[in-house]
Amino acid sequence: MIPPFALARPASVSEAIATFADAGQDAAWYAGGTELLQVMKMGLARFGTLIDLKGLPELRGIAVDASGALVIGGAVTHREIERSSIVGRELPGLVGLEAHVANVRVRNQGTIGGNLCFAEPHSDPATFLLACDAHVELWGAGGARELPIDGFFLEPFVTARTPDEILLAIVIPKAAAGEGRAYEKAKFRERPAVSVAVRLRVAGDAIVEAVVAVGSMTDIPVRVPEAGTALAGAPADPSALGAPLAAGAEAMAELDAVGDLDGSADFKRHLAGVLLRSATRAALSEAIARA
Amino acid sequence: MRRVTTRATPPSPIGESVPRRDGIAKVTGAARFTSDLSVPGMAWAKILRSPYPHARISSIDTAAALALPGVIAAVSAADLADVELYYGHALADHPLIAHGVVRYGGEPVVGIVAEDPATAEEALALVSVEYDPLPVVTTVEAALAPGAPILHEREAEQRPQRGFEEAIERDHPNVCSSSTQRWGDIDAAFAGADLVVEGDFRYPISYAYAMEPYTAIAHWSDGGLTVWSSCQHPFMVRDDLARCFHLPLSAVRVIVPYVGGGYGSKSYTKIEPLTAALALRADRPVKLALSIEESILTTRGDGAVVHIASAFDGDGRLRGRRAEILLNTGAYAENSPLVGRKAANRICGPYRIPAVDVTCRAIYTNTSPASSFRGFGAPQGIFAGESQMDEAAERLGIDPLEIRRRNVVRPGEALWSKARGMDADLDADLLLAADALAWDTPARPGRGRAICISASDAGSEPVTTSLLRVHADGSVTVTVGSTEIGQGSSTVLAQIAAAEMDLPLDRVHLLQSDTTAASYDRSTGASRTTTLVGLAIQAAARDARSQLLEWARDALAGGGTVEPAKGGVLVAGVHHDWGAIVRAWFAGAGGEVVGRGYLRRAGSMTAMPPFWEIGCVGAEVSVDEETGQIRVERLVTVGDVGCAINPQLVESQDVGAAIMGLGIALSEELVYTPEGSLLNGNLVEYRVPRASDIPPFTAILAERGDGVGVYGAKGGGEGALNPVAAAVANAVRRATGIRLHEAPFTPERVWRALRERDPGREGDG
Amino acid sequence: MRETVELSLVVNGRAHPIRVEPRETLADVLRERLGLTGLKISCDVQVCGACTVLVDGLAISACTYLAADAEGHEVTTVEGLARAGQLSPLQQSFIDAAAFQCGFCTPGMRMAATALLAENPAPTRAQVVAGIEGNICRCTGYVPIIDAILEAAGAVDAAGVSEGAR
Repeated sequence: MIPPFALARPASVSEAIATFADAGQDAAWYAGGTELLQVMKMGLARFGTLIDLKGLPELRGIAVDASGALVIGGAVTHREIERSSIVGRELPGLVGLEAHVANVRVRNQGTIGGNLCFAEPHSDPATFLLACDAHVELWGAGGARELPIDGFFLEPFVTARTPDEILLAIVIPKAAAGEGRAYEKAKFRERPAVSVAVRLRVAGDAIVEAVVAVGSMTDIPVRVPEAGTALAGAPADPSALGAPLAAGAEAMAELDAVGDLDGSADFKRHLAGVLLRSATRAALSEAIARA
Repeated sequence: MRRVTTRATPPSPIGESVPRRDGIAKVTGAARFTSDLSVPGMAWAKILRSPYPHARISSIDTAAALALPGVIAAVSAADLADVELYYGHALADHPLIAHGVVRYGGEPVVGIVAEDPATAEEALALVSVEYDPLPVVTTVEAALAPGAPILHEREAEQRPQRGFEEAIERDHPNVCSSSTQRWGDIDAAFAGADLVVEGDFRYPISYAYAMEPYTAIAHWSDGGLTVWSSCQHPFMVRDDLARCFHLPLSAVRVIVPYVGGGYGSKSYTKIEPLTAALALRADRPVKLALSIEESILTTRGDGAVVHIASAFDGDGRLRGRRAEILLNTGAYAENSPLVGRKAANRICGPYRIPAVDVTCRAIYTNTSPASSFRGFGAPQGIFAGESQMDEAAERLGIDPLEIRRRNVVRPGEALWSKARGMDADLDADLLLAADALAWDTPARPGRGRAICISASDAGSEPVTTSLLRVHADGSVTVTVGSTEIGQGSSTVLAQIAAAEMDLPLDRVHLLQSDTTAASYDRSTGASRTTTLVGLAIQAAARDARSQLLEWARDALAGGGTVEPAKGGVLVAGVHHDWGAIVRAWFAGAGGEVVGRGYLRRAGSMTAMPPFWEIGCVGAEVSVDEETGQIRVERLVTVGDVGCAINPQLVESQDVGAAIMGLGIALSEELVYTPEGSLLNGNLVEYRVPRASDIPPFTAILAERGDGVGVYGAKGGGEGALNPVAAAVANAVRRATGIRLHEAPFTPERVWRALRERDPGREGDG
Repeated sequence: MRETVELSLVVNGRAHPIRVEPRETLADVLRERLGLTGLKISCDVQVCGACTVLVDGLAISACTYLAADAEGHEVTTVEGLARAGQLSPLQQSFIDAAAFQCGFCTPGMRMAATALLAENPAPTRAQVVAGIEGNICRCTGYVPIIDAILEAAGAVDAAGVSEGAR
């Protein structure tokens, strides 16, 4: 049973921020509720006021901005992303990812902003967006600010967002020519056991830049710079990646993995190496197609 | 569906896949389950559970909870001096609410009754309980170690329980029960063997996940007690309630609405005594509806550690089998003494073995109580035994199918002295499975195939009754105590009654699962309903028909000749249906005849078990050697059921059972820490199969008319689960060369076994 | 006195004026207040799908959806699918295929199938599997459910049960 609370339905972001200020420490932002209502039902959290963000026009919609970046409103649901032709064109990897988040009901209800702000260490989008160099737009009592998503996640269930701030939107830079972005996961139960995202850029016949992120393995999704370094400079040929991928996997094996019901730390490190291979190949194939 | 039939053609509608009787109610949402019911004046209960896996309760203070507006009662063991607290059909060791000591995390300590569920839940936080923690054991090894904490200081009353007559030998105070199966000269069998295979196998603590959580409503009125419950065995529940509350059986009425899944987990008594005790103290009807998390803490399947050795001749013939099975039975006996008895029997397999020495001990640990779960002691041992059949085949250079064919008992042959002869053709079943897997053609590279087979002494006890009433319009009401838990008994039993009375199916209606209104049946489990209740209905129908013949002679033929005819009699060439006979005999428009059917351990039911339930499963698998994930490419089941009364329902049982077995083979396990915390007591972390996990499936029904039941039928519904883990493990062996000893075969376990196979392979990354 | 809100809950085409606490879930309001007990509560953590209902045609878990959030939307439950005593094609195909045993998952499974077919009237077997991936059935092994949904979609699968899910 969910503990009692009051429900506020502001009509705009500024009204929402004023409502939050009035409610004080006891308020929480509320959008899809798939995580929040669940933890409240389990008695893990209690709030006097939930401020519903679903109706705020500022948090809705998927668009491409003047720079060509993909902008996804914080209250856009997983399902809306999965079915968005804009996302399908700009960032197909995200469509594929979203189609396999939890189940269709959670995707119909849960929002991308809620997912990122809840900061569950097994979040699918968090890991992918980390590799994609996304940033989040926040708006709170102190005004608006942008934060790179690399650094947004501080520890499990904790982000750099202050409690009064609303996640307005996620902004994902347009892929450069020759850039590919891919996400792969091993999943044995509801959430991924390990996931790996790779963004890389090819120029000529070489990979010139690579960013690797891993999720569900360490206590928060992280970038693995050594893995990216290992791939940068490698030939843009899927059959010639043995040594760079092995070096990347070794970098994965250095991570402070956390064992859980899906497997020990050792096994997760191993899986990260396996997924690095498949994610790199997928990203490379997209990159070559866009080169 | 494939049907292989050599039996005689039965009368309609036997053998026909008529639509389920409960179909419209279930597809429209109109079907009412216990969780959907309420009673006027009903209050709601919530349970405060122990956070400690083992502790003495030093104090309980409910004053603040009782002061909360809307709270009606707060009940602990101290408030139940007039109630027999301890129940249990084999060992009465289980207090309906914690009595001085808690023995597992989640044990009920205080029950709150309030006007609504929210208030009851709020009140839980206002109860204060002080505990003195005690040392904890969660594994059978720890529980049997010298100096292990002892769970039960008090000697529990052993209650007379058919199927578990043996005296319990305790070589350690944490032994809950012990069973043995011994024959032949075991030492000589092993001494003279050409091959001995020996090993340890572990079977997980599993959870049946009946989707409807345990739910009960108790209502005291007119000096008696009525309980609605989501349970399988209303008559057994009635017996426990009568004993706990010092009532005659006739004062207790247990009614079972539609049941949202059972699979054994709702057999015997669960939350009914607690609900009744809360209703007694609240002086109100009370509904107790557990959550799934609480249901997981209420009962689960027995985990097992099995040490097993099998001795073979050089030609693959079994000479002997030794086994020691330790069941992790949790904090209370529940049904584990019977599960242990069956485990000791079933580990012998469907094989002719000259010498056997098996011991099974159920061990108390500080974990939630284990009880029945589909398969009932069989899968634990069959995983071990069938793994060894393949191991022996491999070492002796014999085809795994062939080694089984050489060892299975033949029709009529007894597995052990005084047992019912085998009522199945196991060799033919093996060949059907082999054919479906294309056994004679080699598997594709990277794939492995296996066929495993089991025989379970099924059917429980033949203690069943039925009343069949033929009304004045010739329609029929049948009462049986058997419960419709989804298996389709309401359809199949109506088909049997219709066939026996020569009536169209729509002229037959059933009244089930009401201990006052319906007639007695021991239980709904052990795959017994079609066979045993079917026979009781047949007996009732014959009794009704013989009375009707008598009445026709008397009232229609003036004492002269009547000729039996379809759906009635012929008197001087004129057909009179059943209704006409009833009306004539009563000389009016009303009346009815009551046919009685009794089934007991006599006649065809003298030899035990009532029937053998066969599990015959084929599997083909591939393994992703990078992630350790097993992919089942095909599953084959052979349902050796004698006569499929309703083939569609039998097939559905086999598919469902095999997939449940697949879940345990691949992912299902409740994980306890050594300190007694359950790490995955919820449906997020306890993974049951999903639609995408289902492999291509071939379900074969073998109908040879060789069952003891009506038209040669015998039970099904559990068999297809039992060999699945072994079949997957053996197929993985053939695909990869690794031998899996611990279920479930999680990706990490497979990956570790692969690493052991290839030491030095990949720098791990 | 806890805060309550006045709603007009439109369920199966009928408006129900009702006063609820914000914390009340749609599942509790439908089951306990409106007597629509077709949807079931099982896992209570959005995993099993027994409480699936449609909100504006989209499947959601009513166990973790605030009743207050349904204001202004159309809620459809299993009770809303029966048409004047006539079985819908899905209902008929569930019966024909025996796509249930205990029936506890069936209302939720039917709602998931309804949403699936509304979005994709002619799904492939794989699409049906994906569409019900989030609904657990513990009895049938899913095979007859998949068959029933395909059958209702008009895609009669001659191979029937032997095809399994893949």
